[in-house]
Amino acid sequence: MAKKGKLGVRKGISGFFINLVLWVFSLSCVFPLVWMLYSSLKEKRVFNADIIGLPKSPTLYNYIRILSNKDYHLAEAMFNSMRTTFLSIILIVLFSFVVGYILSRVRFKLNRPLYVVFLMGMLIPVHSLLVPIYVVFKSLNINDKWFTLLLPYVSFGLPMGVFLVEGFIKGIPISLEEAASIDGSSFSNTLWRIILPICQPILVTVAIIQVFSCWNEFAFALVLIKTVGLQTVPLALTQFKGQFASDYPKQMASMLLTMAPIVILYFVFNKEIIKGMVAGAVKG
Amino acid sequence: MLDSIRPRKSTIFLYLMIPVAIYAFTVFVPLVTALVFSFFEWKGGPVKTFNGLTNYIALVNDATFWKAFGNNIYLVVACLIGQIGIAFLLVLLVNSKQARFKYIHRTFGFFPSTISAVCIGMIWTMVYHNQYGILNWFLTAIGRADLCQVWLNNTEHIMLIVTIPLIWQFIGYYMVIIFSAIASIDSQIFESAEIDGANAWQTATNITLPLIKNTMLVCITLCIAGNMKAFDNIYTMTKGGPGTSSMVMAMYGYKISFEQSNMGYGSSISVGIFVLSLLVIGGSQWLVKRITRRAEV
Repeated sequence: MAKKGKLGVRKGISGFFINLVLWVFSLSCVFPLVWMLYSSLKEKRVFNADIIGLPKSPTLYNYIRILSNKDYHLAEAMFNSMRTTFLSIILIVLFSFVVGYILSRVRFKLNRPLYVVFLMGMLIPVHSLLVPIYVVFKSLNINDKWFTLLLPYVSFGLPMGVFLVEGFIKGIPISLEEAASIDGSSFSNTLWRIILPICQPILVTVAIIQVFSCWNEFAFALVLIKTVGLQTVPLALTQFKGQFASDYPKQMASMLLTMAPIVILYFVFNKEIIKGMVAGAVKG
Repeated sequence: MLDSIRPRKSTIFLYLMIPVAIYAFTVFVPLVTALVFSFFEWKGGPVKTFNGLTNYIALVNDATFWKAFGNNIYLVVACLIGQIGIAFLLVLLVNSKQARFKYIHRTFGFFPSTISAVCIGMIWTMVYHNQYGILNWFLTAIGRADLCQVWLNNTEHIMLIVTIPLIWQFIGYYMVIIFSAIASIDSQIFESAEIDGANAWQTATNITLPLIKNTMLVCITLCIAGNMKAFDNIYTMTKGGPGTSSMVMAMYGYKISFEQSNMGYGSSISVGIFVLSLLVIGGSQWLVKRITRRAEV
């Protein structure tokens, strides 16, 4: 009896430490968000006097200043990011679906070479393309346009999308398409009316992964976009960092505004998002 | 055969044309261009002069480039230990019977990896700030004000200082991947291990780890590839400074090409990054596979 009690106490202590470590870790992950949320409600002067305390008289001053001043073009940057992300996702999902399906089902001479070409896309260190892409785009005068970033984002997202779709379609019995064909369905009809609905789960996974990578992408936007009015969110933020070097509440407010769509998306759909990201990482 | 599975050649061509053209244009054309321009002296203007291997000879002797490469390797090693190692330990804790609120830990832990590296960099610049940073505030609060400093100016430890945010950001990411791999293991295996009297550490190293070997390989590959291309964090926090002490390859290529507008040399740096990254990623995979195979024999 005494032995069991001792064991229970030991279990209790180890349980306490296990939970303590886990809480320290997971609270550290959301702490910056919380800290920025309440600190962005302070004025610079108040923040500089006490960086950690809660605001005594919360104010939306920073947000109003950022959004009302035309020089900061934050709303514009958010619009640019949304447009680029939205169009990239549509194109990536569409292309991944078509290419993935054809690579997995249709037999033609260039099937394997094409497969290898897309496989190489997963292995190529994309950051080595940073300078070369600028050189090529600049010489063709397609850098610094509203559509410029679509090209790298779609191309870099495509290989993983293609392989996720390809793997998914391998799991669908081919008799489905044979039956459709016997019923007189053409290739395109089968592709869009029968296969597309079945592929919906994997296409959602592809879209989820790419939403985050497109919205957060920085290096290529930095190199390819010069016009202030075309900047995406990460690019605009680095400028804010310079402009408000010592005005942390304003930096925080601008970060929170631009993070808001992603943060809301994450905390509403975190189960699906985590599942999708894991599937993408492991299968891709 | 059947029309639906054997469409006409023109149909396939029409479907594949646009995606393949965009993809080839954005990925392969620049690669070839970089290779060509790497043999030229080109300062970004209209004049390009062929200078053979001069750029590559300069690259091989460029101490800053190799320092940047070394820093990339530092990042890779630190993140392999920090991200995957800590993630594995945390998963063991989450999986223990005493752990509560597993769902919250998963959601909170994964959160930083969804935020842009620019934001992470800005947040940590604030954390490290001399006057208004949390780190110095904390050190003062625990009575070690003597340790306070301008963290991002610390030349000696700058790599560790810029690596910590990177590690912190992705622990949760690897945690979730490892967690889902362990969840797919048959629970009977763990039960019989417990009956046989294996302790937690023995179970982890002798049962869990071998069973999730493939997932760990994926994690290692992701981690190496991710850190060879480190740029956003460094750009936001230090731009490679102070001096060149936190320079990484992508940052160096950017600086040479756009700040010194030395496009010819920048192109050869790009080729260098390409080759070295492939070597490191390929080499590490070969090594890991060899080690795991030997362990099995």
